[in-house]
Amino acid sequence: MEQQTFPGTLDALEPLREYVKEAARSAGLDQRAIYKLCLAVDEIATNVVCHGYEEAGLNGDLKIEASIKDDSLVIQLEDRAKPYDPNLHDVPNTDDLLQPLDEREIGGLGILLAQDGVDDLQYTATNEGNVHRFIIHLPQNDTNR
Amino acid sequence: MPLQMSSSVEGKTARVVLEGELDGSSSTSVRDAVDKALQDHPDRLVLMVEKLNFMASAGLRILIFAKQKQPGLKVYLVKPQETIVDTLKKTGFYQGVYVVETEEETKG
Repeated sequence: MEQQTFPGTLDALEPLREYVKEAARSAGLDQRAIYKLCLAVDEIATNVVCHGYEEAGLNGDLKIEASIKDDSLVIQLEDRAKPYDPNLHDVPNTDDLLQPLDEREIGGLGILLAQDGVDDLQYTATNEGNVHRFIIHLPQNDTNR
Repeated sequence: MPLQMSSSVEGKTARVVLEGELDGSSSTSVRDAVDKALQDHPDRLVLMVEKLNFMASAGLRILIFAKQKQPGLKVYLVKPQETIVDTLKKTGFYQGVYVVETEEETKG
């Protein structure tokens, strides 16, 4: 799919999800996989906007591009925000998930859902910002998942 | 689909209807509505979510907010879609709320 560029604001979240939905449908993912992938991209994009741009006092875009590579659907999200590797962030562990809601920490939930929603969440820091790649392995010889 | 929301308080029950998609762009308004609804210290918060098609972690943080503001509060999610139930289970929130099929079940 053609790359699209959106402003790095929370208003971009909905069109980003629509882009991902279209790419995922074209790749033959089922509804559940589509939702989880949309959620993964949404969570990372939200973090980029809130922490990478707004809190860092920066402005920039979000560029998204979907492609099929080596039997995988790859969604690539690029920004010019403050560098941050989501895979280095603490996420709730099994014990944390068992805590009563009034004792839960609010951090890490988005990244937990992002990692859970894809087969691989890859991160690269560039001179300009961040590149996140969301990878879903497609069954070989069968695009339905 | 942008989020559509309405809220009301009747007796000891606060009721919030959520339709569409709840993400980082809409979560502040939902949190404000929940905050306002809890001012009267209801016993229960009933979230009507049958037509809520998407819920990001921002929605989960609103549940934490409600429970931390009022620890004894019972939080009901009425007829959540399967994908949202998946999110609740994956993050351990399923045990902390009441997931029911009908609003009638919130009146126990």
